Amino acid sequence: MNARIERNGVVSNALAQIGACALFGLTLLGAVPGSFRHFRETLRQVWFVGAMSLTIIMTCGLFVGMVLALQLYDVLSIFGGTSATGTVVAIAIYRELGPVVTALLFAGRAGTSITAEIGLMRATDQIDAMEMMAVDPLAYVAAPRFLAGIVAVPLLTVMFCTMGVLGGHLVGVSWLGIDNGTFWSNMTATVDVWKDIVHGVIVKSFVFGIVVTLIAVFQGYTTPPTSEGVAYATTRTVVASSIAILALDFVLTAFLV
Amino acid sequence: MTQRRSYAVGTGLFIVLGFAALVYLATQTTSVANTGQGASYTVDAQFANVGQLKPRAPVKVAGVRIGQVKSIELTPGHEEATVKLAIDEKYKGIPDDSVATIFTSGLLGDQYVGLSFGSSKKSLDEGGHIALTKPAQQLEDMLGRFFGGGSAPDRIGGTYHVTGHFTNIGSLTPGATVKLAGVPIGSVGKVMLTNDKLDAVVTLDIDKRYDQIPDDSAAAVFTSGLIGSQYVAIQPGGSPDMLKDGDQVVLTQSALQLEDLIGKFLVNGSPSDNKNNAGNGQQSPSNPQQSNPPAPGKK
Repeated sequence: MNARIERNGVVSNALAQIGACALFGLTLLGAVPGSFRHFRETLRQVWFVGAMSLTIIMTCGLFVGMVLALQLYDVLSIFGGTSATGTVVAIAIYRELGPVVTALLFAGRAGTSITAEIGLMRATDQIDAMEMMAVDPLAYVAAPRFLAGIVAVPLLTVMFCTMGVLGGHLVGVSWLGIDNGTFWSNMTATVDVWKDIVHGVIVKSFVFGIVVTLIAVFQGYTTPPTSEGVAYATTRTVVASSIAILALDFVLTAFLV
Repeated sequence: MTQRRSYAVGTGLFIVLGFAALVYLATQTTSVANTGQGASYTVDAQFANVGQLKPRAPVKVAGVRIGQVKSIELTPGHEEATVKLAIDEKYKGIPDDSVATIFTSGLLGDQYVGLSFGSSKKSLDEGGHIALTKPAQQLEDMLGRFFGGGSAPDRIGGTYHVTGHFTNIGSLTPGATVKLAGVPIGSVGKVMLTNDKLDAVVTLDIDKRYDQIPDDSAAAVFTSGLIGSQYVAIQPGGSPDMLKDGDQVVLTQSALQLEDLIGKFLVNGSPSDNKNNAGNGQQSPSNPQQSNPPAPGKK
């Protein structure tokens, strides 16, 4: 009996979180026009969550592409199809790995810092102070970060994909000796701009950008105002983002394919 | 203020870089890279079977891309597909009795339309019609014509054993079929490696009923079908003496690496590799050219 109540508690907690997050998202959307007055702040946030994440995103993209090429070459050589390595690397990265891994990395690199920053503002009463000064904290603190995330994630995803393909080229052509022309011509023959780039890279990364940043801002904004609460909120950002990304990835793929 | 400015510059750089990467991905790594063609003229051709041909598949002459497939339609009431080909304006002067064939690039590759020129003085123009076409070859049909399957016969009458030395047996395993003229006459008994010459010794258990095999016959390792299992084919010679138990088949032909073979015919041609040929009458295991590593795919 107890266990059942507890389980219900977990489920209703999760539902309550999702509902609160969605409602917060709507409120946040209402605050977005107000944040246009704080354009500089938005720009600074794009710099912080986007440009500063470039190093990790590009490095990871490179290695993901390299390891993909290595593994695929190994498997495809069984069938004598190593010339398809470039194609498969590109499609795997564009459709799945690029958007998903970028969003996961973004949640870890930028989402946590957004949560911690807003959470500390909440814990140290800065947000209350803004309200006292008639500055809308949603428009000044939350919305610029939200917008920055939405701008940054698709761009980071594209950078990730580019580096991934170049990494695949590096291993496939320079190291394993696939012909350079074969590598590119097979890729261009199969990869489709609509199905792979638009559906894969752009739509997915846009949705992931919205979701990850919304979760990060929401967790920070509603954190209990204690140091423990901030720590907990930061953890929850990563957990909730990861689950949301992977679940949404499945849903999006099911719709887009 | 300078710090703010550096934010702006950095952010701008990040955004510009991101969009540049997007443009690069969209135009250089996708099929968009192949579609950038100028003015073209359209001709059509009827095919009995287009196989897996798709719109935007390349149209090639002598292996060089001169255009692409614009559309594939089925005329209602006819059992023929009408394929419209968009050919680049600069490739004018294709004779109007040229032959359009649907080829497959590589084994698992996509299909394309190949044009081979006729001898007509008149050339194809906008709205022209290619009368001579060859449908897509179904690989299965083709292979079925060359290779027959078959299982090893039972050994009711007892067997006799002959051996053969091969430089490369591919993936031949004990129990594989031995065939003569496509008919199973026995099975592979043992596969061993000789220590001194480093070639493979294969023991062939041949049914006693088939004891009229000349002793200068050749044994070759063949593959049944594309990804089928390998078997040993006996090609009879002309000697009056017959193979007996314990004899050795002197003329052997090693397993052909299918990848090399296909590479030679279908793709752009692979580096030359001289296969051991039963016809040249040499059994030369020391020939380094024959000891191809099993790792395929390096073309």
